[in-house]
This record gives sequence, structure tokens and C-alpha cells, in this order.
Amino acid sequence: MIVIEAAGQTDVGKKRKGNEDSLYLDDDLKIYVVADGMGGHQAGEVASGLVVKTIQDYMRSIRNNDDAEELVGIDQRLSKEANRLLSSIHLGNRVVFQKSEDKPGYKGMGSTVSAVFFTDHTAIAANVGDSPIYLIRGHEVSNLSVLHTVIAEQMAINPDAERQLSRKFKHMLTRAMGIDRTVEPDTCEIQCFKDDVIVIASDGLTDKVSPEEIRDVVGEHPPQGACQGLIDLANHRGGDDNITVIVLKVAELQEEKGGLLKWIARLFK
Amino acid sequence: MPTLTLKFKKDSAKIKEYRLERGQSISIGRRENNDIVIENLAVSGHHAKIDWTGNGFLLTDLKSKNGTFVNDQLAISHWLKDKDVITIGKHIIEFQYGQGEVQPDDQSDDAMGETMVMDTGKYRSMLAKNVSSMAGQGQGQEAGIGMLSFLAGGEGEVELTKKLTKVGKNASSDIVVSGLTVGQTAATISKRPDGYYLSYVGGMSKPRVNGATVKESVALKQFDVIEIGSAKMQLISKG
Repeated sequence: MIVIEAAGQTDVGKKRKGNEDSLYLDDDLKIYVVADGMGGHQAGEVASGLVVKTIQDYMRSIRNNDDAEELVGIDQRLSKEANRLLSSIHLGNRVVFQKSEDKPGYKGMGSTVSAVFFTDHTAIAANVGDSPIYLIRGHEVSNLSVLHTVIAEQMAINPDAERQLSRKFKHMLTRAMGIDRTVEPDTCEIQCFKDDVIVIASDGLTDKVSPEEIRDVVGEHPPQGACQGLIDLANHRGGDDNITVIVLKVAELQEEKGGLLKWIARLFK
Repeated sequence: MPTLTLKFKKDSAKIKEYRLERGQSISIGRRENNDIVIENLAVSGHHAKIDWTGNGFLLTDLKSKNGTFVNDQLAISHWLKDKDVITIGKHIIEFQYGQGEVQPDDQSDDAMGETMVMDTGKYRSMLAKNVSSMAGQGQGQEAGIGMLSFLAGGEGEVELTKKLTKVGKNASSDIVVSGLTVGQTAATISKRPDGYYLSYVGGMSKPRVNGATVKESVALKQFDVIEIGSAKMQLISKG
């Protein structure tokens, strides 16, 4: 049993005319998604919208049909739930790719995706692209996503890369949804603890607000207030891009008690 | 209004000049139904397009075979600035605003904010060109797989290939350990982007790492010694 306090918000920002970000919160399924679309005209909006819609539809349909076979081969390194989430992302990729092939106006459109799916005791994070997922536990902030940008990948090889590469690489993605027939998401599954906070955002937020600032804001406000506070902060600093943020707080968590512990707990009641 | 000047190579005479109006979109390619037709086999049928987006002209490569370059950089999508040089095949197109014409704000920052996707195939070669001093091939971004080697309470080694490895008394655990006070699932080891983390899950006795009790979660390092119930294991990364 896990209880999540969730809030999400998106804002067009100060400079852009349209909002190409999409978000999806489902407290029933406990799945939360941010997608940041790209591709000019309305295509970016279409791509990110298709991504979240497909994930939503797939996760809903599979819940009602527990024995359903996964779409892609099961990855033995992952739990059943993680395999489900990845299947929904693979499907989302295919849907966007197909649409961009079918309609000339949508050619070349794509999207990032960052999703968090809670099981009874764990959180599964998966992402494609550069929309970050942070875990805030006490005073520590860590990354649950792997950023698929030229700079991030080069820095993994050579820590000096950030200085050597020009700034134009900052937003150059090496992976995205809908660009190719297949996609390779990165994923991890973590044990949850009470009061853990997970933040999913589009780069419109994280270009302007540092992980430590995000930690401080979510530490001081409940999720809904934190979302508004973070968006205000990004807008105050220019709001160059669309800003989307989802704040998830583990409000309650029932421990997995073994037989002996339960028995002892009963003794002391 | 801006002009597009088509040339064959940089210093040769212009082949044709096109006017680009705000609010208008134009297509570039080999086929005749394009606004700008370049008859050359290096050019794809529908190679690229330029759209007015309300705050500037956006060049988009239409997944052309040989790519579209702006100022010698591969471009998937690019906000055109005054005097940008677009290269398509062996032809170049110069983009230039009219004299005294109001240009969109200098969007150098904004343009950088624009997200693009790189073609992975072209990406390495382009990087090699751009940053000659950079060494190494972009392989094995995945951190090395770790392994738990039993020091006591078990034998051999367990590879930590799973994203979440369960350790506990329950027979379905990935690593089964015994002990009266050990939880059904006593602990999990999570493989995160920055390495392995051990978390306490349940049971009377909490796991210990290098002798210190883990109440919630702790990052693991090479050669850390983990004790859960009767089992004592050491983390070794496999390079």
C-alpha cells in the first residue's frame, strides 16, 4: 500500500506562443508522465500529446486485463510492472513515428518522455530524452533519469566535454520518441520511503531552476504549491520555454511486515 | 522580406534568388513540386522546408538522406538568422534579411533553447569534426554490472543485472538469505543511473553496510561489505 500526494502543472512560459509540453497524472493507476514535444508548427504538441495518450490507454487497458501479454519481449532484468511501463513507452514511440510518416506536416516531429509508475513499495522511473526525474530524499537530490543529450553522453566519457562543446549542443538530443521505429528508454526501480519526493519536469524548468532549488521549494510547500512556486520561479527568470512540473510525495507507505514482526507487533499492542 | 540565394558552391555565381515572405512556407528538394528545386542526386525528393512560425523562420530537415547543414553544422531544425548559409548536397542557399528589415529579436539564446534530435549515425562523425581533441568512442554508457560475492552464508557470486534485486527470506527473492529475524524481503538493491543503492525493506534485523546499519537507503561503492541475516557479501564491479 502506498499513498501518493500528487500535483502537476504546465505553463506556456514567457516567450513561446504555444505549449508543446503534455502531462498526465493518474492517481488511480499511480502513473505520472511528462512529455516535451518538438517539431515546429503544431507538430510538437501533437507528438507529446500522442505520447501521454498512448501510455494512458495502454496502462489502463492492461490493468483491466492482468494476463495480457506484453507488446515487446519481456526484459528479465525488470519487474513485471517495469516491463509494462516500458511497453507503453515503446507503443507511444511507434504511434508518434507512424503519424509522422503518414502526414507530411508532422514529418520529423518527436517528443521526450519521462514517466514514474508506483508499485506497492517501489517507484519505477523511465525516460527518453532530456526531461529530468529527480528523487528528493531528505536533503539529497539524485537523478532517476538518464539525459539523452550530446553533452550528457559526452560527459560520461570525458568530464571536460561540457567546456569543450559549444552551447548549441545543450538541447541536442541523442534519443527521442517518434524519430525512429524503435526507441531505447532508460529505466530504474527504487524502493520508496515515506516523505520521498519525486519531481518530473520539462527542461523549461530545469534550465532555470537548479536541483537544489527544486529540493528547497518542495521541502517548504505541499505538491500543489510547489508546482506553482517552481513555475513562477522559472517564469521570473525569463520563462524561455514551456514549463511543466509534476511533484509526487510519498505520503504513506505500509511496511512489508514479515510474519514474525507482525506477531511481535501484536504482542506489544 | 528575406531572400534565399541559391548557388552552386560558395563563391560561384547565383543560380536563382527567392523571396521569402512572412507567413509563407517553402519546400526545398529535387522533385519538381518543391518551391525551390535543386536538380542534383545528392538532394532528396523532399529535402527540407522553411516555415514562418510567428517569431522567426524555422528550417527543418525532412529526414533527407544526406542531411541539411547550416553554417557547416548538421541541422535537424534550426531558427534561421541573417546570413546563415544552408548547405544541401553540393548547393548552398544563403538566407538574408532585406536591408533595414525588422528581424526577430536576436534569438541566439532562444535558438539554443530549441530542442533538436540528432541522428545517431551522423552524430559521432560530426562530433569528431567539432571536437577533435575529444577522445574515446561513445560506447558502454551503461555503468558496469556489479556482482555480489559471498563471504559467508552462501557460496559463489550473484550478478546484479536486474534493475531491482530482492534479498530476503522469501523463496522468490533473487538472493535468498536465512535468519529468524530476516524479512521476507529484507532489502532491495536498485541499479540507478549513478550506481547501486541498497534499501532496507522489512524484517526485524536491518541490513548493514560496512558494519553500519541501513535504516533507509545507501549508495554502494566497490568492495562494500553487505550483511543481511546470515549472509555476508561484497560488492565487486565487473569493469
